Amino acid sequence: MSYKIAVGSSDGRNVDLKFGEVKKFIIFEVEDEKSKLLEIRNVDTCETVADTNGCAGYVGDCNSLGCSGNGSGCNGSTDVINKVELIKDCRCIVCKKIGFQAQKQLERKAISVFDVEGIVGNILEKIIAYYGKIDKHK
Amino acid sequence: MAKLLDKQRYKCALGAMQTVQAINRALPILHSGPGCAQKLSESTGSSGYFSPNIFPCTSINEKDVVFGGVKKLDSTIENALKVIDADLYVVLTGCIPEIVGDDTGEVVSRYANSEKPVIYAPTAGFKGNNYKGHEQVIDAIVEQYLKKSETKQEGLVNIWADVPYQDLFWLGNIRELEKLVSELGLTPNTIFGYKRGIDNINKIPEAQFNLLVSPWVGLSTMKKMERKLGIPYLHCKTLPIGATETSKFLREVGKFAGVPEEKVESVIKEHEDYYYYLIERYADLFLENRVINKQFTVVADAQYSLGITKFLVNDLGLIPAKQFVVDDTPKAYRKLITEEFKNLNFEIEAEVSFETDGYKIHEEIKNHDYHGYPLVLGGYYEKEVTESLKGNFLNISWPVQDKVVFDNFYAGYAGGIRLIEDIYTVAVSRFN
Repeated sequence: MSYKIAVGSSDGRNVDLKFGEVKKFIIFEVEDEKSKLLEIRNVDTCETVADTNGCAGYVGDCNSLGCSGNGSGCNGSTDVINKVELIKDCRCIVCKKIGFQAQKQLERKAISVFDVEGIVGNILEKIIAYYGKIDKHK
Repeated sequence: MAKLLDKQRYKCALGAMQTVQAINRALPILHSGPGCAQKLSESTGSSGYFSPNIFPCTSINEKDVVFGGVKKLDSTIENALKVIDADLYVVLTGCIPEIVGDDTGEVVSRYANSEKPVIYAPTAGFKGNNYKGHEQVIDAIVEQYLKKSETKQEGLVNIWADVPYQDLFWLGNIRELEKLVSELGLTPNTIFGYKRGIDNINKIPEAQFNLLVSPWVGLSTMKKMERKLGIPYLHCKTLPIGATETSKFLREVGKFAGVPEEKVESVIKEHEDYYYYLIERYADLFLENRVINKQFTVVADAQYSLGITKFLVNDLGLIPAKQFVVDDTPKAYRKLITEEFKNLNFEIEAEVSFETDGYKIHEEIKNHDYHGYPLVLGGYYEKEVTESLKGNFLNISWPVQDKVVFDNFYAGYAGGIRLIEDIYTVAVSRFN
């Protein structure tokens, strides 16, 4: 059974982005405990989401300083929902930091959260070993 | 095939936070998942200093399983030391960090030079139950904190009994044991309960000997202290309840400590005189054979199963049906304990079963011919089955649901009288 892992990385080598800072997710696919780069998913700008969903109340949040200075790159709740939707087929997400509200939204979609810093390869190796053990345990 | 255990009478080793809690101003720091402490904290009574289940906890989650939780543990200890005013910090590990392989010992060793002592006890549930966890905590204190003392205090005796909070009467019992030992002219030293704590722990190495009053809990620790601290130990397997066993107990302790025989006998005489005065006053009640049951069963941990069986046979002259030891006694000790059940007065022998499955115990109780109504002393689980047999039931072991105990006790002469009161209160109330 294959599964996907979403990674927040600016250079593809290091996990160095906070969830809010991610402009594009690197998606890895894991099959038989081997990972390969599947695709890059660009995060839509929040205006379009606001337009399509019609939640005009949230437009004000976009591209502002974020939720009252709660860390850099936080673009409010629309951004979170947008991103969660974008990676909803992934088993887990790896980012440098992920805020509490975003974690809750990810949990609702049963996406595990790993907020760690480090080299993508090493981190993936650990996660894959972990899921491998879970999946093999019948 | 996985086995289900019906009505278990103990918790996992992490339940040892009760043991830490019983030491005044000692604080457990939990390296475990967020639900562990909550699940284990239902026992009644707090430490009197810290809340019963608001302890610093690493609350480890999936991420820590994959990447290790040592960082979190380090910051939890560091901040606990800053924020909480305690005398002793005991890190207890749950199953998850031990399976994942967190090196708790290494993290704790970073605090070797901190102002207050920080120690750790591996209390993963798969290592055993809370009786084992209790041993692990005392072990940790001996191994990581105590140092051999060059000076010994003449007559100082460390007293160790069964597991605090798991044993409903732990506080009263250990105080009564202290009282008895001090009447022999010795100085008791215990680490649990009111006005005991780090000072008493510091005194442990100076003791003349360790006195262990338990069939098996703590025996390995006594051996460890003998090796490391050079303190010999006296192992009294039976919790003394009532005159017969308490007098035996005092003679044994007196002999071991080198107390003159006359002194021991005068203490015994004084207690026995009063004890039998009370018994005699109520002789009518005891001779009225319609009141009390002919046979009894105790369903409890080794300490109470053995102690109460001896008391009911030797002091009250009742006949034992099958007795049940439900604390999952390690196999190595079982033979010794079985022998003790055969060591009763009037050449009576009690059959004992080391059974942890409540269903099987209840089936055996139902199928035994008690020659009338049974008397069952056990956990709350036995209430229903005893009622269905129209028997008399007394809740003396965990779990306890129909009783509030502050510092009541069953140990010693006075404890025996308390137990008689409790049993006969149940027995006579059925006729009224």
